[in-house]
Amino acid sequence: MNLMTLQRYKNEIILLISVLFALFSFIYKLSANTYVKENQSRIHQQTNEITNIISLKKQWGNKKIVNKVKILKTIVPASKIKSFQKKSKKLVASYTGLSANELNKLNNKLINIPIQIVMLNIVQSTKNQYSMEFTCKW
Amino acid sequence: MEPMTLEHSVEIILTPQFYTLIREVLDVKFSYQAKQISASLFDDYIGNSTDYQYHVYKCNEEWCFFAYNIKEIDYFLESKGIEKHRVSKIYFAQQLDDVLKEPIQLSSKNILQSIEGTVTIIPIRLMESNIYYKPLNLSELKLNSGVTMGASLNSFISLKETIMLSSIFFIFGIVFITEGNRIKSSIESEDKQLTELFNENNSYIDSTVRRTVLNKYKKIENTERMKRQSMKEVSKLLSSKSQLMTLTIQKNKILATIKTSNVNISKQVDRNAKAKKFKSINNGLNVKVEKQL
Repeated sequence: MNLMTLQRYKNEIILLISVLFALFSFIYKLSANTYVKENQSRIHQQTNEITNIISLKKQWGNKKIVNKVKILKTIVPASKIKSFQKKSKKLVASYTGLSANELNKLNNKLINIPIQIVMLNIVQSTKNQYSMEFTCKW
Repeated sequence: MEPMTLEHSVEIILTPQFYTLIREVLDVKFSYQAKQISASLFDDYIGNSTDYQYHVYKCNEEWCFFAYNIKEIDYFLESKGIEKHRVSKIYFAQQLDDVLKEPIQLSSKNILQSIEGTVTIIPIRLMESNIYYKPLNLSELKLNSGVTMGASLNSFISLKETIMLSSIFFIFGIVFITEGNRIKSSIESEDKQLTELFNENNSYIDSTVRRTVLNKYKKIENTERMKRQSMKEVSKLLSSKSQLMTLTIQKNKILATIKTSNVNISKQVDRNAKAKKFKSINNGLNVKVEKQL
């Protein structure tokens, strides 16, 4: 293709270049759209996973939970606590002679503390008197 | 003029039979202003004005207007073997006014000469026989204000259409690029937030680790919520006419025994327990309820 031919089809070449420019720009826009769609879902998923882990870990693996567990020792009279053993991240407690109210109170407190109840055993020993033992970990 | 074959581009000087010339004194400054009135100037001189194109330039104090039929010129050039795309520019013989004070011989029949400022073709037989026709050295001439053969003739698309369409496509291109960049930047902040989260929690960069930890805590969350929900549901089964005898949670099972004051209450507790998806066994006044966690 010599210079004359180029000059002859100058207009067509200019138009072709501008059409190609528009076409490639359009392809660029489409690829940007696809890139965003693919990455947005990935970013959302990864962000959700991490924030979920952080919030769940904060709730169920909170190291400060040990302070909240102490309340289970003070919520009922000490005379009714048969044993209260706290070791590392585990609590084994046993209560006896609890009234229905005390049992309710203790129960409510227990279920409102974010610890894992490994074992719970409530038994009516005499009328309106209950014994309770549980093992928890966090 | 003999037919010829060209290997390179040429410039053409049109002799007066290919154009119509009008000289006018006009109160305009620019040639584009003069060109706007070209067509109306030639109304009385040329036939169908749509076949004509116009050219104008300032000659001394006047404006020189040219009307030419590009198709006619093209037809002539083709008949002489000159392809239109070989013609780079067209000039008018009138532009050689100064040079043609003395005649030049065009062919065996015609000469070209400027008479009273207008370049004219004159039959040679009207000239004196002993006159000397000096040769015209085109390489010494400096011609300005030529006309491009015209994109409309060389190309399938006119220059005007080219400019218009190219501008539209160019604008579209710019819009698409801008839009593409805007779309790409729309997730930048989210990406930045994710990067920050990864920086703060290095151990969770690996997706396997992340999913293992997440599954572990989700399982704890679900089981513990279910335990608590079941304990609340058991307490709702109790009333003034029923008492909790035992409540046990072990592994993934909750089990409770409720003692009622009469059979009707037992049935009611049994019904309520089943409604709460407990497995219930009604044994007289005692109702045993059980649920897998």
